[in-house]
Amino acid sequence: MERKLVIPGEEIAQGKVKLGEGVYRDGDTVYSSVLGLLDTTRGRVRVIPLTGRYFPKVGDFVIGTVVGTIYETAWEVDINCPYSATLNASDYYREVDPFRTPLCQVMSPGATVYAYVREVTPNRRIYITLRQRGCRVIRGGRLVEISPAKVPRVIGRKRSMISMIVKETGCRMLVGQNGIVWIMGKPEIADLVERLVKKIEAEAHTSGLTDRIKETIVKEREKYEGR
Amino acid sequence: MKVGEPEEFIIDGKRLDGRRVDELRPLKIEAGVLKRADGSAYVEWGGNRVLAACYGPREIHPRHEANPQRAVLRTFYSMAPFSVYERKRPGPDRRSMEISKVTRQALESVVFTHLYPMTAIDVFIEILQAQAGTRCAGITAASVALADAGIPMRDLVPACAAGKVGGHIVLDLFDIEDNYGEADLPVAIVPRTGHVSLLQMDGNLTQEEFEQAFKLAVEGCMQVYEKQKEALITRYGGDKE
Repeated sequence: MERKLVIPGEEIAQGKVKLGEGVYRDGDTVYSSVLGLLDTTRGRVRVIPLTGRYFPKVGDFVIGTVVGTIYETAWEVDINCPYSATLNASDYYREVDPFRTPLCQVMSPGATVYAYVREVTPNRRIYITLRQRGCRVIRGGRLVEISPAKVPRVIGRKRSMISMIVKETGCRMLVGQNGIVWIMGKPEIADLVERLVKKIEAEAHTSGLTDRIKETIVKEREKYEGR
Repeated sequence: MKVGEPEEFIIDGKRLDGRRVDELRPLKIEAGVLKRADGSAYVEWGGNRVLAACYGPREIHPRHEANPQRAVLRTFYSMAPFSVYERKRPGPDRRSMEISKVTRQALESVVFTHLYPMTAIDVFIEILQAQAGTRCAGITAASVALADAGIPMRDLVPACAAGKVGGHIVLDLFDIEDNYGEADLPVAIVPRTGHVSLLQMDGNLTQEEFEQAFKLAVEGCMQVYEKQKEALITRYGGDKE
């Protein structure tokens, strides 16, 4: 679908409309507040940002790195956004008693987690949890950082892109909404997937990307197997 | 080479660099030129070369500067030692701190800071080469960099100066006119509302002259605004879906 590119301050609607993200109203007119693509489907106007930092929303899956502990009962986790997130001991995937085992023995700074954003309070405290399907502590593999605005493209519609890559290469892969991608596999496979992720990021705006990525994988695999 | 004071500023209706009195210097804006920054812009405006980089919103350090109600916008204007004829001593000085402050105030009015409490939005403006009007070029570049960083804002902020040289009101002074002219009037506006977000004056103008110069500067700003929009559309437009 053709979506119009709008820049901050551009007029996008008049009169009574529902406002989504990236827009603001002044009097009777609605203007864009960010640089992005105009979306008027589903009965409201919003602008899908093309750049920008990640801001946590409840329901997002993110990949974060443990920074330390807070008050002995929670971890502080860096999730690549302006606010650091809190992971309470009670949100760890199994029972831990922080008064019997210090939390830094359960997960020490530097540990990586694939977590679910449970709560974002009005004063921007972020609580994440591992008690959600799919969440876990990540061991091994490598982390690749991409622009959070390009994450939907790496995942693909109904996860088409990511499931294709996993199926074709046999690597393991997790994508956090915060723009962190975890890849695990044999070194040359992981190298290839990392290149692919970077390629998707660079060509996020083009169509037919999934097919092109698939072609690249097939070509690379022939090279790899031919040796 | 640095030139001395000219005898005439306007000869046969043309200025010393061949422009009409109401003509801008050639202006080129490019968005997203830096890879590491969240947003960036490069401006070539006559002999001015300006690079602006924007980071944020990000965690604020030192922590006590944080505002629990809104993001803090911080601007850093700096001139490279090689940007002028006589080597400029690097580091902040009275002039660059003033320009950082007026730039911040010019941009603060358009940025939706209340969306990101406890954070900082940092804008760095580096003057690589100066030929008068660097604060205007800096504000112009900075607002493109902010938009490129995806920061929500009401509008872009174009800036442009007007002034008086040899008894004539002219648009967009260059270095000789700025050094030996009678007045310089940098203006930044919010085009959508027509609000003025920067207005300074160096030199003296009568009220009529001021009104004439201000009108001219606003017209200049509108031309700059078009270039800003163009730069962003070129960066993100083209073959986007």
